[in-house]
Amino acid sequence: MAVEIEETMLVRVQAEDFSVDEEINRVRARSTRIGGIATFLGTVRDRSKGRDVRLLTFEHYEGMAQKKLREIRERALQDFDVIEVLVLHRYGAIEIGENVVLIVVGAEHRADAFRACEWCIDELKKITPIWKLEETPEGDVWVEEHP
Amino acid sequence: MLSIKLFGMVKTLAQQQKELSLEFVDGQKVEDLVEVLRAQYPEIGELVLKKKVLISVNQEISHPDTVISTADEVALLPPFAGGSLEANSKGKMKNAKVSR
Repeated sequence: MAVEIEETMLVRVQAEDFSVDEEINRVRARSTRIGGIATFLGTVRDRSKGRDVRLLTFEHYEGMAQKKLREIRERALQDFDVIEVLVLHRYGAIEIGENVVLIVVGAEHRADAFRACEWCIDELKKITPIWKLEETPEGDVWVEEHP
Repeated sequence: MLSIKLFGMVKTLAQQQKELSLEFVDGQKVEDLVEVLRAQYPEIGELVLKKKVLISVNQEISHPDTVISTADEVALLPPFAGGSLEANSKGKMKNAKVSR
């Protein structure tokens, strides 16, 4: 059984929070051939480079961010032995502990799912035009890098 | 005129403007735009010159000889939250402080 899913649901940049279960089910429903699903969930931490962080605000380049996430999904589907890939990133102000980014990869076997999932998040951080403003007690700081 | 989208710390350096409008002749190259930026926005121009800030044309990272039409979508991209870009793997920029 294969359920048609629009690509727009599999690659999203959105302000709203998401349900990890719902997103996993979206991938799971893609094919009964899936035997393993790997996920990466990025959340907001309260400490960065020795500074306390109170709030993170993500800014994205509308259009280019979505384009780069689509490219990541397409390359993962092409280069790894996987069945479906979902890439989701939030923008706007996000509180400590909340969800920021989610990668879900469904494959026949776990090794391919793990590998593709790690590649997707690494690539996302390299090529996606998204910026992070940390609100700290010392002032607001634009961050270059996720450690 | 050429409109240039600004993001992150570059927007901060431009007093929170989301877009710059620059005098620009159709068909000039990215390297010409860098010179215009250096003349009018020296701080931003220097970051572009050092490749800390990249220029995208129609949502793709440009090269110095990429030709720009004033109808193109041009943006200045500071280092992404996730770290290095294709053209920027070495050297960390000091975090840009924002006062408000």
